[in-house]
Amino acid sequence: MPDNPFKKKSKNHFELLYNMLLDAIPSSVLMVDEKLHVVSVNQNFLLKSQRSNANTVGRPLSEVFPTVILENTGLEERIRNVFRSGSPVNGQKMTYRAPGVPIRIYYYSILPIPTNQIMLLMEDVTEQVRLSEEVRRVERHLASVVESASDIVLSTDIEGRILTWNSAAEKLSGLSSHEVHGRYFFEFCDTTQKQPVRLIFMRMKNSNESHTTEFHLLTPNNGGSILISWVFSPMKDDYGQTVGTVVVGRDLAERRKLELQLRQSQKLTALGVMAGGIAHEIRNPLAVCSSAAQFLLEDNITAEFHKECSKKIQANIQKASAIIENLLRFARSSLDTEMVEVELNAVLKETIDLVANQAKVQKIQILLPMQKKYILVSGVSGLLQQVFMNIFLNAINAMPEGGVLRIVVDTFEDRVVVRISDTGIGIPSGELDKIFDPFHTSSPVGQGTGLGLSICYSIIQQHLGSIQAESRYGEGATIIVTLPLL
Amino acid sequence: MKVLLLSSPCRYFKTMNTPILIVDDDPDMCWAISHIIESQGFNVITAYNGEEACFKLTHGDFSIVFLDAKLPDMDGLEVARRASTLLHEKPRIVLVSGYHYYDDPVVRHAIVEGIICGFLAKPFTNKELLKTLHTLSQAIE
Repeated sequence: MPDNPFKKKSKNHFELLYNMLLDAIPSSVLMVDEKLHVVSVNQNFLLKSQRSNANTVGRPLSEVFPTVILENTGLEERIRNVFRSGSPVNGQKMTYRAPGVPIRIYYYSILPIPTNQIMLLMEDVTEQVRLSEEVRRVERHLASVVESASDIVLSTDIEGRILTWNSAAEKLSGLSSHEVHGRYFFEFCDTTQKQPVRLIFMRMKNSNESHTTEFHLLTPNNGGSILISWVFSPMKDDYGQTVGTVVVGRDLAERRKLELQLRQSQKLTALGVMAGGIAHEIRNPLAVCSSAAQFLLEDNITAEFHKECSKKIQANIQKASAIIENLLRFARSSLDTEMVEVELNAVLKETIDLVANQAKVQKIQILLPMQKKYILVSGVSGLLQQVFMNIFLNAINAMPEGGVLRIVVDTFEDRVVVRISDTGIGIPSGELDKIFDPFHTSSPVGQGTGLGLSICYSIIQQHLGSIQAESRYGEGATIIVTLPLL
Repeated sequence: MKVLLLSSPCRYFKTMNTPILIVDDDPDMCWAISHIIESQGFNVITAYNGEEACFKLTHGDFSIVFLDAKLPDMDGLEVARRASTLLHEKPRIVLVSGYHYYDDPVVRHAIVEGIICGFLAKPFTNKELLKTLHTLSQAIE
């Protein structure tokens, strides 16, 4: 049974209070005299050091503390200094291991007190040190996640002023973290985007949803800009209040490069499909030239026949050359990417010339009603040709037994609609939504990359147009390409 | 090797007095082949598509045909197949093509089936065509 403090009698009321206070605080307190003997200790010290009052009070420090600690901290010398100088020692660190208990970390202070004693205050900070180390470790981990990301990761305050700016952001923009810190993010956006970006930050204040967009980030140090795909997300505190915005950006150059590679490989696939038709078409004029040249080698030919042979040779070389020229144009065209004024009828006509051989080989009739007027769109002729080439070849593939490929061009006020229909097997209704997905293919394994229509889709999107498919299984398919008119 | 000839499957022939049919949708190609064959004293008749060729084959009398493999309305081999089923006296057909190559499985198969007698790849030399022509006409005589 603990003593009842209310019934305790003491000659000195203050001494009792003082001792209670010392025992109640979560720090260890020792009073030490000039001879470095312990005068008194509180309960906390006895508990932590696993000592009794009897073998502590009246004993020299060298008996109470392990020698290692006294040597490492120079505790005795520090206490002597305090006695000498009268000024306290504050906030020193001590690692203390009592026999049989885990290591503890203390902060200690040595305070001179008027009774020619010092007070040694030891505060156990083991837990705080452990926690703060944990916090530092988590912080370091998070920082390295953000720093190691190859995407731009930045955070802003609620008004859109930049707070953090990771190394990917530094690398891509050429702007160091301290150059941008505290500046508005929109200052680094493309001129046309400054206002929209401000609006995004305003919307973030009251929104729980991310906002995805694409625009150019200025790289002022080299006077240029880079196209980035951005995701803005509101940053919330524990109470659900927006305290800022996290912006993640991915450099689209890499993706564009990949898209270009895909387009090129898809084009090579198309060339492979056309190879058969082309072989036939080129070998015919070659055969005519070859025979005519051999006629010319014969003796006794008439001047008239001589002329005829020469004409045939020339005409057939022209024919072969025209086929090759079309091919070259198709194979190389993905190199130019600048949007210019393009006449759509010419693109369609040139593309039809390219697939005409293949269509002929498969007994397919191509119908393109003549258009008298020019249809001008803004685009990359080679890319548009690739789109139509793809659609035509798909249509031709859908008609192994022959059929009709019909191309209808309609112009409206602001757009042109090209409908390309075949009389082939059609597309099952379940597949209709999938045909623009990358790698979706109905061709047997090894016969199609499945990239065709997804590339068409991305090209048409780049031209601010749209592409759709209509079909009823067994009744052919229609691909509808819509492009804005210039 | 560009010329492939197998003489065994085609057996029934008439004399050399019958004209030779040339089937090709390219008029210049017909011009070249005709000229080579006419130089040897043969008569030549041309057809520019599959239907026309079939019509002429059923209504005329041909012992030798030079047939393009890819015609606008049907495959050359289809023409050959029809000829071999429709005609009592099968003509000797040479497939002339820039689309196939001499050891193309399709070509070999057609020869084994007996619907064509030989294959000539475009472009050919006039000598190769003449050699083919002579081998066929000798087999007939």
